[in-house]
Amino acid sequence: MKDVMGLIVTGENDIHLGELTSQRAVAAMPIAGRYRVIDFQLSSMVHTGIKNVGIITQKNYSSLMDHVGSGREWDLHGKQGMVILPPFLTRENMGVYSGMLDALRSNVNFLRRSKQEYVVLTNSHTIYNIDFSDALRFHVNAGADVTVLYCRNEHTGTTQGENDTFYTVDENGKVLTMEIGSSNPKGDCASLKVYITRRELLHQLVDQGAASGLHDFERDILQKNINEGNLKVYGFEYTGIAWQIDSIQSYFNFNMALLQNDFRNQLFPSERPVYTKVRDDMPARYVAGCECTNSLVANGCTIEGTVINSILFRGVRIAKGAVVKNSIIMQDAHIQEGAEIDHCILDKQSVIRRNGRLIAPAAYPIVIAKNVVI
Amino acid sequence: MRKKKCVAMLLAGGQGSRLGILTKKVAKPAVPFGGKFRIIDFPLSNCTNSGIDVVGVLTQYRPLELNAYIGSGSPWDLDLSNGGVFVLPPYQTGKTGEWYKGTANAIYQNIAFIEQWDPDYVLVLSGDHIYKMDYNAMLRAHIEKGADLTIAVREVPWEDASRFGLLHTDENNRIDEFEEKPKHPKSNKASMGVYIFTWDKMRKYMEQDEADPKSENDFGKNIIPTMLAENQKLYTYTFEGYWKDVGTIESLWESNMDLLTLPMPIDLADKRWRIYARNPGMPPHYIDQGVKLVDSLITEGCEVRGVIDHSVLFAGVRVETGAEVTQAVIMPGAIIERGAVVRRAIVAENAHICAGAIVGEETGNIAVVGPGAVVGPGEHVAAGVQIDADEQRAAASAK
Repeated sequence: MKDVMGLIVTGENDIHLGELTSQRAVAAMPIAGRYRVIDFQLSSMVHTGIKNVGIITQKNYSSLMDHVGSGREWDLHGKQGMVILPPFLTRENMGVYSGMLDALRSNVNFLRRSKQEYVVLTNSHTIYNIDFSDALRFHVNAGADVTVLYCRNEHTGTTQGENDTFYTVDENGKVLTMEIGSSNPKGDCASLKVYITRRELLHQLVDQGAASGLHDFERDILQKNINEGNLKVYGFEYTGIAWQIDSIQSYFNFNMALLQNDFRNQLFPSERPVYTKVRDDMPARYVAGCECTNSLVANGCTIEGTVINSILFRGVRIAKGAVVKNSIIMQDAHIQEGAEIDHCILDKQSVIRRNGRLIAPAAYPIVIAKNVVI
Repeated sequence: MRKKKCVAMLLAGGQGSRLGILTKKVAKPAVPFGGKFRIIDFPLSNCTNSGIDVVGVLTQYRPLELNAYIGSGSPWDLDLSNGGVFVLPPYQTGKTGEWYKGTANAIYQNIAFIEQWDPDYVLVLSGDHIYKMDYNAMLRAHIEKGADLTIAVREVPWEDASRFGLLHTDENNRIDEFEEKPKHPKSNKASMGVYIFTWDKMRKYMEQDEADPKSENDFGKNIIPTMLAENQKLYTYTFEGYWKDVGTIESLWESNMDLLTLPMPIDLADKRWRIYARNPGMPPHYIDQGVKLVDSLITEGCEVRGVIDHSVLFAGVRVETGAEVTQAVIMPGAIIERGAVVRRAIVAENAHICAGAIVGEETGNIAVVGPGAVVGPGEHVAAGVQIDADEQRAAASAK
């Protein structure tokens, strides 16, 4: 067993996907036809051999808890397994975290009680499929205090800029500079917001940070220590696909990118499946007269109409004569006869009534909230 | 272990030799069905949906894949502290120990397992049928009648009746005669091979049967006729609904094709009676541009670039551009290359149909490409032919 634990911080206050995250954390966002965003971070940890995973939650975390359950689907239901760490109220802690550092401080007991030497710390809105073992080896060999993961390829899917972090690194991987939210960054190493460090060092950094009244892990801990040279911070390059889900547009673009074979095959290699909650639907049914082109379709769907360049989640029904183009349709949504939609994101259980039309411009997809009937 | 009112014993030890190449390496209950299931998912899901949470699975023939598939039983919610699913292979006892001889003997050898639960009733199931049945409703009928044995039956068309084991009853459904495949049937109530015994009676008759060296230790041939002859209370319970024996290549194929008609004769989308299965964890399937899809079922993990017409595709199947799949069952991981044609056929797990090959014909028997077998470029597999990967390998090394 690997001597490493995992810690996933969900419920970032600074990520807004409008209506889509009004009732759920980004971690619980349905994505890629049958997954939730957190499946990617959790599965990556499982493929690394990590058994002890803490998930720090806040705000509306019920759909997240419903999704991960006992952790069984990720084989994290054992004696070590997965722990959900919900917010709680104490004198010092109002249950609302103003930054990742706050979230870590509230759950410092979990860090203290864990036994592993190393910890992989991640956010919950970056999509990737990584076995962190190589990065861990790099971290140990480099004698680093903190190793940050970064990628150079263009598949980072960020659209906002304000959350993006860029590094410059020397030829040995040592991080020289760190910029947060720059509109014209000098560095070309985009952060995956995955950090590897020793558990006890993280504990110490969190303690010190809290004692100084700090909130932000990136700015107040990492950036400060890089600038002052107090910590040995190294960067490890990840060459696969990584994507930040930090806006509706980046969410939309990520799903659409999955229609490309290479992109999809890189993200879902057969040796590292992405685990998710199982729903026990039957296979998708295609009825004579239907038309389906360049689309991803999950189990439980019934397709009688036309589907073009779209992502259909589990249990979606497309009636006769309905036309769905360039859209993302979440589970159990229903497009009735003759309805037509283009560039739409339909949340769960929404219904487009008979002959309804919703055509959005490509640059600005329309979001239909959960359970809404149009 | 706490007492259970009823425990289920699932007979999964038979080879199912009529499924030919499909059961050469696996037991019949492990054969894939319906795009994402295996046959055993049906009785196991029926048990869990009926509230029966102790299931002994009696295995003997080629059990490895079946054992791995059942695992801890978690897909069916049968991984319990007090109960669950138990794989029961034959075992040695002191100096003796033997294979399961007949259906009754298999259960007789597991009396100790059953007694652990101190049950009042024992449900006997087999792993060769596709059906959704509430065993608890049958148990209620058994208890109401005060029966010693209740046999689930379905009424079959009179012209087919002589193919079945038939039960003749009085107006209260009490059985007065049992006939195995008679030429001139007196009844059209066919046994489904689903029995509920009152445990003390079952135990008594199994022990009595074991003492008879001439007995074949079979429920249908020995136990039931003896109980009838001794005037025990045997009743039928009529099941209405879809029920299909998938013990032959043709019936397995037909039963898959049944799922393509609407409304489905067996509703697999029923959320109140789900059929659970172990999940392979693949992404949604991908449909390429300009693909013709007609009345078909397609599962997660597939890549579809060719025509799919009246077919069932299991997880992770790849159909390349220009291929045509018609009235076919394509099991997990199979590959159909460019321009290949598959019709009226079963292509088993991880089989590979190379470019331009033709499998099956428009009429005649179903062609079968066995697990892991390869049909070379441009080759032709005629109707009713079965391709065996082992034979292919042997032939290749002989050369």
